[in-house]
Amino acid sequence: MGDVNPFRRRGDTDGPAQASEVDRTSATLAAAGRGNEEAFGEFYDLTASLVYGVILKVVRDPAMAEEVTQETFVELWRLAPRYDATRGSAKSWTATIAHRRAVDRVRSEQSRRNREDRDHERRTENESDTTAEVVIDRLDHTRVRNALDALSDTQREAVTLAYYQGRTYREVALLLDVPEGTAKTRIRDGLIRLRDHFGVDS
Amino acid sequence: MNANNHDLHHLAGAYALDALDAEERRAFEAHYPTCDICIGEVEDFREIGAILAEGVETAPPSDLKTQIMAEVGQTRQISPLESETVVDLAEQRQRKSRLPLVLAAAAAAVVVVIGLLSVLNGSSENDTEPVLAAPDAVVTNLEGEVGSLRIVWSDELDMVAIFGNDLADPGVGMAYALWFVEADGVTPAALFTVDDDMVRIAETVDDIDPIAWGVTIEPDTGSPQPTGEILYLGEL
Repeated sequence: MGDVNPFRRRGDTDGPAQASEVDRTSATLAAAGRGNEEAFGEFYDLTASLVYGVILKVVRDPAMAEEVTQETFVELWRLAPRYDATRGSAKSWTATIAHRRAVDRVRSEQSRRNREDRDHERRTENESDTTAEVVIDRLDHTRVRNALDALSDTQREAVTLAYYQGRTYREVALLLDVPEGTAKTRIRDGLIRLRDHFGVDS
Repeated sequence: MNANNHDLHHLAGAYALDALDAEERRAFEAHYPTCDICIGEVEDFREIGAILAEGVETAPPSDLKTQIMAEVGQTRQISPLESETVVDLAEQRQRKSRLPLVLAAAAAAVVVVIGLLSVLNGSSENDTEPVLAAPDAVVTNLEGEVGSLRIVWSDELDMVAIFGNDLADPGVGMAYALWFVEADGVTPAALFTVDDDMVRIAETVDDIDPIAWGVTIEPDTGSPQPTGEILYLGEL
């Protein structure tokens, strides 16, 4: 299997500059996939707040968030040649990789801490901050807040605990004191309602 | 579609939000690439995830870009080729007559590395993530008469990951054997059994240059060369 990409294409950034932000994100990622570092720099400018924001939300610690953000962008660069626009938007691909890395980091930290300090560590380290309401209060993005308002209270709690706090549905079930199947269903139903709200359909 | 798969369909939402624990994530990832419904749902729900991420956008520290671009300048990108080979049944039947010849011709020259063989009963909690994330991962899909198998191989890591769905029980004292076919011979790569009709394991292999993968059923102590019928086959 040969490397088909030995060339740098420095001139790739002219076109994307005039397109909409969504198109530019996708165009700069495609150019980055052809080895264009300058395009990747622009892709960074377009997505850094998204990536850092979601990672910070999940891991909470700014120093750790910075570290995970750096890992994520290097990973995005490495994987860029495989980005397939027919399987989702550039933004979705980017957010997916960022969120996954953040979640994996907190879970490995959690299991390390559990091993080191099994007797002292509470299962959830910060009870006052586990409710979905706190998460939602901090959301200043109107479009997202409006969409979450369209969910039932129980769906909203389940979706935000899973996404913004990186909880598994089993943890969500414990935190909300409902059966696991119920937590799973609330997450899925909430996502389906959000899909309808935003008109997302592949 | 058995009951097990029916349950898996309902995990698409939790999966897309990374709300599955490691074990269920593995199970779902073995299932969903073969399921059009789940692929569609995961894609949609990931778009929703991106919108939720937009809700918490935060500017990163300003010096971060310089560090990242410096590392990017020293990081090689993966190949754009996914090299997926789906072997359909007709093709596979044709090849069944070919591979045994390759195997027979090669058998005499094969140096069997016994250390490669490991019986994976219960202790198959190997982490397949590094192989999936490897920049040079090569994916080969094998469709058999029963269920499906997917092989992911990384030359750089010298590792192979095996994913399977709806596989038949190999029988008492028997196990599935994965073989890699090289230009000059056939070598055992791994032995595996199935758990709930499924397998998801990662195995270390020696420096290899496979041109095809083959799967047979062998005694669970392993065989130095294939003795069973070729059940799954795929060329890279």
